[in-house]
Amino acid sequence: MREYEDFHKLIGDLRDGRIFGSTEAAEKALTFIKEQVGLCSSLNEIKNTLIEYVPPLVKARPTSALTVNCLREIVELTIDCIKRKMDAQKVKENICSKIDEMLRKAHESVKMIAGIGAKRIKDGDTILTNTYSYTVLNVLEKARDEGKKISIFIPESRPGGEGIDMAVELYKRGFPVTLFVDSAVRYMMKEVDLVLIGAEAIAANGAVVNKIGTSMIALAAHEARVRVFVAAGTYKFSLETFLGEIVELTYRRPEVLLSSHELRALGNVKVLCPAFDVTPPEYIDAIITERGVFAPQAVPLIVREIFGWPPLVKDISVLIEELKRC
Amino acid sequence: MNYKLPKEVLEIAEGIRSMKIRGAGRIARAAVKALKIAALGYRGSNVKDFYDYMMYASKLLLATRPTAVSLPNAVAYVMSRLSRNIEAFSLNEAVDSVVKWSDEFIEYSLKATQLIGEIGEGRIKSGNIVLTHCNSSAALSVIITAHRKGKDIRVYACETRPKFQGKITAKTLAKEGIDVTLIPDSAVRFFMKDVDLVIVGADTVAANGAVVNKIGTSMIALAAHEARVRVFVAAETYKFSPATVIGELVTIEERPPTEVVDKDFLRRYPGIKVRNPAFDVTPPEYIDAIITEKGVISPHAAILVLREEFAWTLEERMKKLKLTLNYEIE
Repeated sequence: MREYEDFHKLIGDLRDGRIFGSTEAAEKALTFIKEQVGLCSSLNEIKNTLIEYVPPLVKARPTSALTVNCLREIVELTIDCIKRKMDAQKVKENICSKIDEMLRKAHESVKMIAGIGAKRIKDGDTILTNTYSYTVLNVLEKARDEGKKISIFIPESRPGGEGIDMAVELYKRGFPVTLFVDSAVRYMMKEVDLVLIGAEAIAANGAVVNKIGTSMIALAAHEARVRVFVAAGTYKFSLETFLGEIVELTYRRPEVLLSSHELRALGNVKVLCPAFDVTPPEYIDAIITERGVFAPQAVPLIVREIFGWPPLVKDISVLIEELKRC
Repeated sequence: MNYKLPKEVLEIAEGIRSMKIRGAGRIARAAVKALKIAALGYRGSNVKDFYDYMMYASKLLLATRPTAVSLPNAVAYVMSRLSRNIEAFSLNEAVDSVVKWSDEFIEYSLKATQLIGEIGEGRIKSGNIVLTHCNSSAALSVIITAHRKGKDIRVYACETRPKFQGKITAKTLAKEGIDVTLIPDSAVRFFMKDVDLVIVGADTVAANGAVVNKIGTSMIALAAHEARVRVFVAAETYKFSPATVIGELVTIEERPPTEVVDKDFLRRYPGIKVRNPAFDVTPPEYIDAIITEKGVISPHAAILVLREEFAWTLEERMKKLKLTLNYEIE
């Protein structure tokens, strides 16, 4: 029963953005699955655990390509193990070590990205970023550790205020930080040397899905001829988009914008809070991955290198059906 | 010299400073109302002294907010007339005239907002989705007039951080029975694809047609430009800035950080600098037209309005400039 309550909390946190960073989202989802699988004692239990928990996790955060990609790998692995007639204990071990490996890889990638990305930062740069991002934080720290004096501009990132969280995090790590409202981004852009953002997902055409407001920042940077860099590992490529799927952009509850009491007082007013937006590739100068820096338009190249061409991906719902049958 | 002003005048000045009185038009009307109250409250007996007293009151009002030009223009509407006639006036005539000009300005200002609604609503078609920012009476006048003429419109209202004036806009429009959706400022580009036109107000229109308005306006105009959505600015002619004609820049006010985060936050994280610019500048190339009470103009034609409306002050300013320049040359 306790797991059940935890699960609902996890789903809520993922959906409403209380767990905001895409890396953290994947970490929480994977750790949960690992714990649950660890409790299983038969093949059927393992199957049912995945069938029960994977689809709602994907549904709670469909934009997080990292979460989706990792969960898909786990389901694929499980099907493969069962087909190869492994016993429950063996399957469990396989799943758990796979999850550990994925988490380790994600962190290693971030370190690689930090090393590469820091080179694009010059001493004295003012860098504008948006929202909370583990990857961006690592790049900035790496640059600072290399002795570069940098200062950070950051909008508060309404409605969740993750920009404020990021400002506090940066402050605690000793960076000079300037905070302002989201609408002041264009006003501030003249003082900015480069924009550095993270990503929730990267689509087949190099478009970047990230926290709402990112595409406005990129547009304002483009207008001011300020370079825009996206720091994101290749595990954030949304493979489904190669098969024509569109990254589903979720909305957050109106209560994140204003209290229900306030909403009632406004009368017949509707509220819409998109959680993410899409930045077109033409506003992005480069994507910094663990495999190097490249143009957003070159995403297919890297995908071909890693996953083959065309990338053979099955939709998670299809895989879940397969799992049910085996 | 310091004068004692009626309490109500000081209250109005404080109201403008603290943004209890907001919006360029409302600020202008409040300022001339304060002049009227000051004139009626004058307790001296000398017309020359009355003029100095009124100048003192004007300066106090002008110092409240640096950006909105409606404030100096409204004060100048009354005070330039007073200064031109003061030699010929008795004290009673001077007081009566200030009252008359103040009432005149307020009536003109209200009428202008209404006229802008009538002129501007022609640009809205039934079925249109309009995006607006902050809480502008001129922009609302256009939207509400269109709705009252039976046009079926929908409105996106930006919440407008840090002070959330967008909520007032949303409430006002909802009361009118208009379909209105409140969105966070960061979502403007996300929704721009659905939008047919943008209507915003203005605090100041500069000589080159650039529009100074609530922070975020230039981002909206940029996103609209990118999406080929038309941008209209609803602005009375007293929002055009004569000072910019002789090369002065509009000062952008940066307000206290406590409007963005609370005092506790500032105490806890003293190293985080919080900046709070109240306005930004939208370049004329992102503006399709400015709707004034005298008609719709291209932003590039702002100088036309300035020459027509502010001929007297422009001449004065030019003369002064010439004097200082001649002096420097000698």
